[in-house]
Amino acid sequence: MIPILIGVTFLTFTLFNLVGGDPAIRFAGKHATVERVAEIRAELGLDRSVGEQYLFFVKQIVTFDYGRSWATKQEISTMITDGLGATLSLTVPSFVASVAFCILLALFAVYGRGTILDRGTVVVCLGLLSVSSLVYILALQYVLAFQGGLFPISGWDPSWTGRWEYLVLPWIILFVLSLGPNILIYRTVIMDEVFQDYVRTARAKGLAEKHVFAKHVLKNAMIPIITVVVIEMPVLITGSVLIENFFGIPGLGGTVIKALNDSDFPVIKAFTVISAMAYMIFNLLADVLYSAVDPRVKLS
Amino acid sequence: MALSKAYPARQFRPRGQTATFVQVLLAGAVAIALAITGCTKKRFDENDNSLNLVLRANVKGLDPISANDLYSSTVIAQMYEGLLEYNYLKRPFTLQPALAEAMPEVSKDGLTYTFKIKKGVKFHDNAAFKDGKGREITAQDFIYSWKRLADPRNASEGFWIFDGKIKGLNEWAQMVKAEKANYDTPVEGLTATDSNTLVVKLTGVYHQLPFVLAMPFASIVPKEAVEKYGKEFLNNPVGTGPFVLEKPTDWVRNSKITLKKNPSYRPATYPTEGAPGDAEKGLLADAGKQVPFIDKLVFNEIVEDQPRWQNGLKGNFDWFDIPKDNFENAVKDNKIAPELGAKGMALDVTPALDVTYIGFNMTDKELGKNKLLRQAISKAFDSKTYIQKFLNGRGVAAQGPIPPGVDAYDDVYKNPNAEFDLAKAKELLAKAGFPEGKGAPELTYEALSDATARQGAEFFAQSMAAIGIKVKINSNTWPQFQEKIKGQKAQIFGIAWGADYPDAQNFFQLFYSKNKTPGPNDSSFTNLEFDKLYEESLKLPAGEERTKLYRKLRDIVADESPWVFNAHRLGYRLVHGWVGNFKWTEVANDYPKYIRIDAKKRAELGSKL
Repeated sequence: MIPILIGVTFLTFTLFNLVGGDPAIRFAGKHATVERVAEIRAELGLDRSVGEQYLFFVKQIVTFDYGRSWATKQEISTMITDGLGATLSLTVPSFVASVAFCILLALFAVYGRGTILDRGTVVVCLGLLSVSSLVYILALQYVLAFQGGLFPISGWDPSWTGRWEYLVLPWIILFVLSLGPNILIYRTVIMDEVFQDYVRTARAKGLAEKHVFAKHVLKNAMIPIITVVVIEMPVLITGSVLIENFFGIPGLGGTVIKALNDSDFPVIKAFTVISAMAYMIFNLLADVLYSAVDPRVKLS
Repeated sequence: MALSKAYPARQFRPRGQTATFVQVLLAGAVAIALAITGCTKKRFDENDNSLNLVLRANVKGLDPISANDLYSSTVIAQMYEGLLEYNYLKRPFTLQPALAEAMPEVSKDGLTYTFKIKKGVKFHDNAAFKDGKGREITAQDFIYSWKRLADPRNASEGFWIFDGKIKGLNEWAQMVKAEKANYDTPVEGLTATDSNTLVVKLTGVYHQLPFVLAMPFASIVPKEAVEKYGKEFLNNPVGTGPFVLEKPTDWVRNSKITLKKNPSYRPATYPTEGAPGDAEKGLLADAGKQVPFIDKLVFNEIVEDQPRWQNGLKGNFDWFDIPKDNFENAVKDNKIAPELGAKGMALDVTPALDVTYIGFNMTDKELGKNKLLRQAISKAFDSKTYIQKFLNGRGVAAQGPIPPGVDAYDDVYKNPNAEFDLAKAKELLAKAGFPEGKGAPELTYEALSDATARQGAEFFAQSMAAIGIKVKINSNTWPQFQEKIKGQKAQIFGIAWGADYPDAQNFFQLFYSKNKTPGPNDSSFTNLEFDKLYEESLKLPAGEERTKLYRKLRDIVADESPWVFNAHRLGYRLVHGWVGNFKWTEVANDYPKYIRIDAKKRAELGSKL
C-alpha cells in the first residue's frame, strides 16, 4: 500500500505543479501587484524548493494534518468531514438499493434469458444509459419537485433527522442513473456462469432450476460481482457533483470542484490522498469478501 | 438485441413471477418516497417576516479582510460596518456616515481626514467580551482593523484600498513582516486623538478614500474576538451590523446562512430623501424609521440555475435573477411575462456597473504594435449581436470602459472604433498591412471552458473570419486562464470588470501602466499621455474638470483600442409582491436592512405559487 500511496502523492504533486496554475496569482486578487504576489507566494510556502514542498506534503500525509484551505481559509479536516457526511448520506442508500435491486433483476433476466422480459430489460437499460444524466436531473427535478410538489426543489438540513426530506429525490435519481449500467453488467457476469460445466452438472443431477440459480450460479457469480461493486465504490466518496449542485447538497464533490477551480492545492492534496486510501481499503475489503464467498481464495 | 442473441433461450419462462416482483419493488419504493415527503409542509407563516435571498456561489468565510468575492462580502456586510455607507435610494450613488458621526473633515491640502466616531455604538454580544456583552466601539478599533488588513501574515486581497496611501502603513507592514513591529507599534497616518476621533493622514491626495471606506474590507472588528477565535474568527463574526450570526451552526457550509436581527443595533434610519420618482413608487413611506424591519435574514447558496429559478418562482426566495435559459419565458418585450405578473411578481432591471471586453495583450509583437490591426478587429466585432445572442439582449453596447450608473458615463458618446462596420474594418485591415487578411497572423483567443464562454469565443472567431483573420480558440480552466493573462501569455482574452465603487477612476486604472498585469491592467496597456492625464485626474475631486479629463482618457483608450469594448450588462431580476422598499443597489451590500416583508401577503400570494 505504501508504494501506491507514494505514487499517488508524486503524481498529484507533479500534475498540480504542471497544470494547476499559479495559486499566488489567484490569491493576490484583482488588484494584485508584483510585490503582493511575491508575499503571497511566501505566505503559501511556494517560494520554497520543489523538494521541500514535496516533503511538506509527505509530512501532511503522515500527520493527517492538511492545515487550512488557501481559498476559504477553512480547516481542511472540517471541510472534509462536513462534506463526507452529506455525500455518504446521498450515495450510500441509493448505492446499496441499486446493487441489491440490479443483481436481483439481472438474475431474473438471466433466468428468463432470451425471453421478451430479458430482451426488454436489455433494451430499457440501453435506453436508460443513452440519456445524459443531466436530463434525468433536470426532468425529474422539474416534474416531481417543481410541478408535482412531491419533494423540495433543493435544500439541506444538517441534522440527521431533517436531511432525509431533501435526499429522497436525489436518491431516486441516483438509483435510476445506476440501473442501466448496473443491470447490464451484472447480467453479463451472471450469464457467463450459466454456461459453466458445474451448472450443467447440477441440472444433470436433477436439481430444480431455481436451486441451480440460488445455490450455484449466484454463489459463483459473487466473485465478479464483488469486483464490479468495489470498482464502483469510490463514487460513494466523490459523490455526484451534478446532483449535489442541483439539489443544494453540501457534499464533497462540490468542495473538490471548487478547490480545482481555485488552485486550492491543500484541499486537492487531502482529497486525493483520502480517495487513494479509500480505494486501497475497498480493494482490501474485496479480497476479504472473495475469501468469504469462495473458500478456494485464501488471504496470504 | 445482440446481447441476448448470444445466448440460447430457455424454454421455461417465469414471466409472471418476475413482473410481480418488480412491481412490488417499485410500489414499495414509491410508497416509501411518498411517506417521507407526503406530509406537505405549510407554505408560509403569516407572522414570519424573514427575508430569504439566494446567492449564486458559496460563501467562503465571514472575516471582512477576506471579503474578496461578491457572495462572502454580501453576507459580511450584514454583520460588519465601516465609517461610511451608501445612501440606499440616491442615484448617482451618494455616501453617508455609518459609524462616523458625520462626513469627514478634510484638510485644505486633502491629506488629512478627521472622522468623529458615533458614540454609544456597540459590538454584537459575544463570549469574547467581558460578561458576553458587546463593548462600545472606539477610534482605536479602526486603527486595529486597518492594520489587520495591512498585516502581510493575513495575506488579504483587500489591502489595495490602502496600499501606499496611508502614511506609515506600508512601512509598518514591512516591519511586521520582519518581526520588528506589532499592533502596538504606532502608524503615523492612523491616530486616535481621543476615543471617538480618528485622524487619517495620507501620503498623497486620494479622492477615492471615502468610497473604499464603504467597502466591507474597511469594516471594524473587535480585537478581543480576533484574539479569542484566532484562525476561527472567520466563522465567529462579531461586528456592529444590523444582523448577527447567533451561533456558528447557523451557518451550514455550502448551503445556507441564517442571520437574526441585532437587538441592540445603533440608531439608524431609513433615508428621508431619494432619487426622483422614488416617492411615487412608495419608496419613501418608511422615511426616518429605525431599520432593520425584518427579524431574520437567510442567504441560500445555490450554484445551479434551475433550482435557483424554480425555488424563486415558488416564493422560497423573495427576489431572484432570471437565468439565461428562462429569460424568454419570464420577459416578453422587455416586460414581465403576464402570467408571472398576475402572481404579483415585478421585473427589476438595473445596470450591473461592469464592462465585458475582449482584451489584447499589448506586449504581443503582432497586436501590441499595430494599432490599425486592433482597430480593424474592434470594428469587425458586432457587440450588439453578441448581446442579443449571448445575453438575451440584457446589455448596453459598450463604447468605452465606463458603465451607465458611474459618474462620467456619457450616453451620447459613440466610440468610432466600436461601431460595427465590416467594410471599414476591412479597410483598416488593409491599412494595417493585411489586405483581405493576407499575411495576417493567426491569433489565439483564450476562453474559459464553460459552454457560454466557448460559444462567445466562436462568435469572435467567426467575426474575424469575415475579414480574413484566422482565430484559434483555447479552452481554459479558471486557474489556467488567470495564469495566462497574469503571465502576459494570453494573446486575446474575453473577460469583465465589475466596479469596486461608482467612480470612473476604478475603470481607468485598468489602463494605467503602473497597474499592468499581474495588476488589474490585464492588457499591459502603456501610454505615456494616458498615464500623465490619469495621474492628474487622481488629484481632482469629482466635478466638471475631472469629467473633462476622464473624457480625454476615454478618447485615448478608444483610439488605441487595447480592448474590444463589448457590453455593460443589465441585471434582470424578479421581485415578489410581498417585498417592500425594494431598490436594487449594485455597489452597496447592506440593502436587507431597508427591506420590508409583508408576511400576510406572502402567506396569501405564496399559497398560489
